[in-house]
This record gives sequence, structure tokens and C-alpha cells, in this order.
Amino acid sequence: MKNEKNNEITLFLNGSEQRFCVETDETLLHVLRKRAGLTGAKKGCDLGECGACTVILDGRAVNSCCVFAVQADGKHVETIEGIGTAEHPHPLQQAFVNAGAIQCGFCTPGMIMAAKALLDRNPRPSREEIRQALSGNLCRCTGYERIEQAVMMAVEIISGYAER
Amino acid sequence: MNEHQFENVNIGIPRLESLSKALGQAKYTDDLRLPNMAYAALVRSPYSCARVLSIDLTEAEKIPGYLGCLLPEDVPRQYFNCSGNPPSPLLIHDELVLTREPKVLGDRIACVAAETEEMARAAADAVQVEYEVLTPYLDVRSALREEAKAIQPHISEDNVIQYRDVSQGDRGAGESASDFIVEDCFSTPPMQHVTIEPTSCLCDFSDGEHLTVYSTSQTVFQERRLIAEILGLREADVRFSKPVVGGGFGARQQLHAQHIASLMSKKLHRPVNLSYTREEDLYSVVRHASEVKLRIGASRDGRLQLFDVEYYLNAGPYTTHTPTVVAAAARKLQYNVPNYFFQGYSVYTNHITGGAFRGYGNTQISFAREILMDRLADKLGMDPVELRLINHVQVGECFPCASIPVSSNGIEDCVRRCQAIQAEIDTQFPLVDNEEVRQAWGISFSCHGSGPSSKEGLSSAIVMLNDDATVQLLVGSSDIGQGSETMESQIAAECLGIPLSSVRITAADTLLTPYDTGTFGSSQTFICGNAITRACDDLKAKILAQLRVIFPEGKVEERANRYVVQENGQTTELDLAQAARKIMYDPKGGVMIGAGTYKAAACPNPFSVCFVKAEYYKKLNAIRLLDIIEVVDVGTPINRLTVAGQLEGGIAQGVGYALYERMEINPRSRRTLSSDLLHYRIPQMDDMPQTYVDMVDSHDPYGPLGAKSVGELATVPVAPAIVNAVRRTSGQEINALPLCDRFVILPSRRKEG
Repeated sequence: MKNEKNNEITLFLNGSEQRFCVETDETLLHVLRKRAGLTGAKKGCDLGECGACTVILDGRAVNSCCVFAVQADGKHVETIEGIGTAEHPHPLQQAFVNAGAIQCGFCTPGMIMAAKALLDRNPRPSREEIRQALSGNLCRCTGYERIEQAVMMAVEIISGYAER
Repeated sequence: MNEHQFENVNIGIPRLESLSKALGQAKYTDDLRLPNMAYAALVRSPYSCARVLSIDLTEAEKIPGYLGCLLPEDVPRQYFNCSGNPPSPLLIHDELVLTREPKVLGDRIACVAAETEEMARAAADAVQVEYEVLTPYLDVRSALREEAKAIQPHISEDNVIQYRDVSQGDRGAGESASDFIVEDCFSTPPMQHVTIEPTSCLCDFSDGEHLTVYSTSQTVFQERRLIAEILGLREADVRFSKPVVGGGFGARQQLHAQHIASLMSKKLHRPVNLSYTREEDLYSVVRHASEVKLRIGASRDGRLQLFDVEYYLNAGPYTTHTPTVVAAAARKLQYNVPNYFFQGYSVYTNHITGGAFRGYGNTQISFAREILMDRLADKLGMDPVELRLINHVQVGECFPCASIPVSSNGIEDCVRRCQAIQAEIDTQFPLVDNEEVRQAWGISFSCHGSGPSSKEGLSSAIVMLNDDATVQLLVGSSDIGQGSETMESQIAAECLGIPLSSVRITAADTLLTPYDTGTFGSSQTFICGNAITRACDDLKAKILAQLRVIFPEGKVEERANRYVVQENGQTTELDLAQAARKIMYDPKGGVMIGAGTYKAAACPNPFSVCFVKAEYYKKLNAIRLLDIIEVVDVGTPINRLTVAGQLEGGIAQGVGYALYERMEINPRSRRTLSSDLLHYRIPQMDDMPQTYVDMVDSHDPYGPLGAKSVGELATVPVAPAIVNAVRRTSGQEINALPLCDRFVILPSRRKEG
């Protein structure tokens, strides 16, 4: 194995500064799941094809299985655990629940993070923009209809906040 | 005008566990950690048919963190069948834990373990295996050739695992009564389940006596039985506990690698995680590829006279489910026909092993049937909907060669609802037919069962009453993402007259919950649901009996979930909480536990009608799906939101099946091309047409609160309806899937605005 050398990196992980010793070829997903104990980001393919590991890196949705941890050094990483709690879920989290957009739930964290990255940049997306933004996230259970509805519901809630 | 009034069912409510999933807190198998856990990885055959000449561990042993290896001679050598069905002579034993004679791509040769997952993979890759490569038979035809070698010589000389003949009537009479006979051969490809969660297990057999398995499981009790048999344990010493599971669709209705991971755990005296890569998952199991030769005959008035089918399933090299899949297909004809002939063949090949997949044989036969019914309608000059309706089996009648009469049937309402939605769509977007593009609708009917059609469904439930009138519900059935735990809790709440928030469910843990046959055959609502209604009735009867013990002089009755005690001229009314407290803390009291079991005596058929609007670009030979409507009769929908979700998800799987999904093996290299999700494409969000789903008012007399099943039904009619639409737009006859072989597939949906 070629990655004997350890690297120390700093992540601003869900708002808190954290240091990790990582291997050169270690992925951000691996650091989140195995070192930080955050198992919300899922490993569905480890090849950047299913989107279940989506997190937000400095404002952009990324497949964390395709980002080396060293590339994330010094950056802000948002994961599903950091955007809401049971008492105060993020509007997207609540909308996914209410719309029935969750079945097995394995794609859900990635789906919600991809949607959040979209809404952070474009708070009033069209349905087409939603479908395009989430097309990198595979779901086998729902047929996507209710996921699209959930994002539209969250758009309404969030724009309601903005107007107040 | 539904006379059945409910509070907790026939409503749409979010799943009980969905917030924990949305928050990222739900724990799936690979999220679990045990102290001192090690990781295992499999050494798999890269060839579809080969013989192992030597295995060299030298390089693997040098990998840092390497812990050990299991070879074929280190593990039990008896044959087993990995299917998660209850024991049956159809489940022929022909699979080994590890083999030196790989018969399929990905066959298990050896297992290595290391301190981390990455080290285990590196060690598995470093194991040097020398093979003698042999010629595989990849399709049914080549495996059935006279000169073909036997793939499993101890089972079958001619590669036919089993032949099944199901028939009634007389072929000659059917032919002579038919004014028109249509016939053709149809083929469908092997489709993979692509559960987004890859297959995974965590096995702790550290002490070599008691085994605990956490795994992606649909059938925990069958898997416990199988692994106990393989490892020589008693079932009471094996615990299967199902964490949250990320989809199943049939792929987890079998043992995967729990046996070898358990053996590795025993060897290392450490818990062992064995999780598949996406590539391993893709070639672990598929829906059987099929070849279907079908003839349908009808008299001039449109009445079916003859249905004659030869049905071949490509089993791969291990029997697993195949003969039961064939048997299930034999009894899914929802049209009356006096002369019915079904000849089913389960055939060994070296293609990827076929297993259970949503539809279980129904998908393949319905594909051929519904396409040919459309051609028959054209020959007869009849409307394809009306042709199906006049032949449809009615309540009290049986499907051909089936023994259980249809107990409820809302197919006509399904059709009318589909037609109403169709009219709305066509008003907004009138059908186009010009130089460039032609649009048309295609339809299909389908049915399924509620539970295994062999009547082997068996389930049980326990309801324990707490002193604050909350209840603990224990069931053995697995929620694999379809929402059964919420549905089961709703049934308990409805039967006990308590709010849903007062029910806490524990499911699918062989240590804690009572027996259930398993999550397959669309059983959960009907079979487990009936066990729950019985457990609730038992609980209510026990409460009443105990109150009568406490008030020996009084008259005790239950009225609308309240307990009325008349004693010494006084009337006292107790609600459930008051009754529970009285019972538990009275000197003559007790603990109230209701139990119920249900052995499937019936198997009510749910029905579905699917309409598809498609367009065809003449110059491009390209197709686009625009709208898909699916309306179903599922009896009482317990949770309308869940049923709608099952339908939409079933439609998406049908779209993938029809358009582009296929596990491909390159005939030259004999390796799979479908090794990742770029080369095995499932529908993405942007690929899906507009979908419309609905359920008609219906109530089945045998269903719990009137309910039938939905899970498998949802996906069965979709592919033939798509083909029938494409056939009408393109004017081309279609006999095979996927359609991307014949047409350019355009992204679905109209542009907005």
C-alpha cells in the first residue's frame, strides 16, 4: 500500500473545527463515516454514480466518495447530521417526511443534501431545475415523484421565511 | 359509498421512521460497529465457468492488517439452497459456501479478513488463483442443446432443473373453437434489483456457540433456519436481527454471505463485517431472463378459447427460487379460458443466478400475455380494454387452474378511473399525429396474489398492553423500506381503537419477535395484517375475561372500545387505560398479552390497470414516454401515502425494465459489462415521465380491515403497457426488452411552459 504517510487535515464539519489524521488516498466519505462517526452519508457505490454520499463542500454538492479527504482540508463540510434536529428539522427534512418522499431512506440523506445545495444557491428553482439538480441521486423505491414534490414544498416553506 | 369507516387506516400518513431517515440517524447494517470488529472480503471467480487449479495466499498474507483466510476445504461441504422460502421439495440443494468449481461470474472461491475494509479488499485482490477456464452456457437455448454438458450433474443431466405442467381443457378443442389465434415468442432480459443499499452483514460468532447476525434481510426466520443447518447449530442459538434496510425487491429473500462471514467470525473470534461492492451486488442475483412461447385463441365474439404457453426461465447455475418462480407464473392468468396449458421449464445456465424479484414470474408472463392480447384485439377489431374486460375473471370464479376463488374485484373501476385521467391529459395535451411525430396510448392489466400463491404464508403477532394504554406490537415481518411497520401499527391501532401514537412496534428480530414466513410474495399487509387483527381480538377478549374475574358479580361488556361494568345497580365505564390499570394492579389482576397467528387460507388477488402515453419520432426512430397512469384495486389501502409510493416506485422499475435495464455478459470476453451504475442504468429523476396513481374503493372479505397487497402488483403491468404504447405509435411489433435495442430513447417529459 502506497499511502503510509499520514496527513493532518482540518475540516469545518457542520460548523465545528475538527482535525483528522488521514491517509493520502482516503476519501472524504471514509473520514465522515469511519473517523467522525457520521454515518448519515451512505456508501451506495463508492464510484460517484448513486449520490447516496452527497455532502456539501464549501457550498457545492459533491459525491464525498469521489473527494479525497486531503482535498477538503480547510473547507466547510455540511452533512445531513448538521442541517436539522428532531426538534428543529430543516424544512427539506420535514418536507421529505410529510410528502412521503422516503421509503427505504438510503438515498434520502444524499437527496436532501443535493436539494439543499440547490436551494442555497437558487431558492426558487423550477421543477426542471430540481429534476436536473437531483438527477445524480438514484432512488429505487419512490419513482422520484414525491421527492420532487417534497423539494417544491420546502421551497414554499423557505420562501415563506424569507418574506417574513 | 364506502360503508367501512376507519380512523387509522385508509388515510395517508408519513412513515413512523421517516424522520430518523431524513435526519441521517437511521442505522443500516454497514453503519453498525461492534468492538473489535474485523472486515471480510470475498475472492470471487472472474469467469462464468472454470475450475480452480491452485490458490496462493503468499501475497495476501503480506498485506498489512491481514488476519486470515477461509478456503473451500475449510468450510462445510454440504449443498444447500439459499432461498428464503420455507422448506419445499422445489428448493433443490446445489449451492456451496465456497467452491473450487465456479459456475457463475462472482462465484465464491475464498474469503479473507483484515483489520479494515480496505485492507480486506486489498488482501482479496492479492490472492492468486489459477483457473482452467471452461466454456459457459449463457442462455437457455445453448444449455438445452443436446451436446451441452450438465452444469449440475448430480441434479440434472439435461440442465432442466424442473418441468412443470399445469393445464385444463383440451388443446384441440381450444383450437377449433378459436376463430383467431395469435402467437409469438417473447424474451425478457435479466434485471438487477439495484437496492441503493449494497448487501451487507455483520456476524458475531466469536464464541463458536451463539451466532448473532445483523444483515440486509427480508426473511430473518428462513435465514436463521438455513444458517443453523449449514453451521450445525440449533435455531435457538442463532439470532437474526434486521437493522434498517435500504430496499429489497426480492434480492434479500435469500442468504447471501452470512454463512461465510459467520465462519470467519468463528475463526477469528471477532465480529466480522462483510459488505458487497456495487459490482458484487450487481452480479449477485437477477430477475430471471425468460423465453416465452405463447398462443392465444379467441372466438369471433372476443371470448378466449385457448391459452397455450411454454415458459423458460434462465436460472443461472443454482436453483435458488427458480421452480417456485415458474410455479407462481402458472397461476396468474386473470382471464377466463376453458383450455389452458402451461409448460414451465427451469433451466440451468452459467448466467447470473436468478432469484426472487418483485413480480416473481408474473412479470415475464404478463409481458408476453398483455402484448399478445393487444394484437388479438386488433385482429378481432375490438377495443383492447373491452376485450380484457369481457374475459376477466369475476368474484366467485377462479383463475385458470387455481383453486381459490377471486374474492373482490375492482378492475372495471380501475379502468374507468384510468380513462378519466387519460381524458384530462388528452384535453390538456391533445394527441399529436403529424409528419414528424405520432403519439398514442397503450394499456395493460395485471393481477397478483396477497402472499405466496402456494399458501405457505404464516405469520404471528404479539400485542402487550401497558398500564397507560400504550401497546408494544411484536411481529416477525421485515420492513425493508416498503413501510410495513407503519402499516402494521395502523392495523393494531384501528383494531384496538387507540391512536397510532400509542403503538410501538418491534419487528424482524428472531430473538424478540414471533415467527413470520418472511417479506416476500406481497405478504405483509394480508398475512401479517391478519395475524395482528387476531392478536388484537385476543387481547380484547383477555381484557374482558380478566375484568369478569375482577367483577365476578357484575356484567362486563365492551362497547366501542370502552369497558362497561354493571354491578350492584351501578354502571362504571372504563377506557382502555383505566381498564389496563385496573387489571394490572387489582389483587385478581394479570398481564394482558394478546397473541395471534394466521396461516394463509386465502390469497386475494389485487388488480391493476396501467395506461401509457408515448410518442414516436419517425425520422429518428426514437421514442419518449410522456405519461403513465396506474390505478389499482388493493382492497382497503391501509396507508394511502404508502400505496401511492409503492405504485410510483413500481412504475419506475417498470420503466427501467422496459427501456434499458439488462445485466449483460459480453459473449466474447464472457465478462459482465454491467459492473457499475453507469453501465447498468436505472431511471434517474429526469428520466421519469409524469405519473398518475390512484386506488379505487374496494374491500376484500378476507383481508385485514379489507386490505389486499400492492408491492409486486405495482410493477407488473408497466413494461407491457409501455410496449403496447410504443407499438401503436411506431407501428412496429415488439417481442423483446429492453427497448433501447430497437429505439433511441429520448428523455421523458414535456418541456415546461
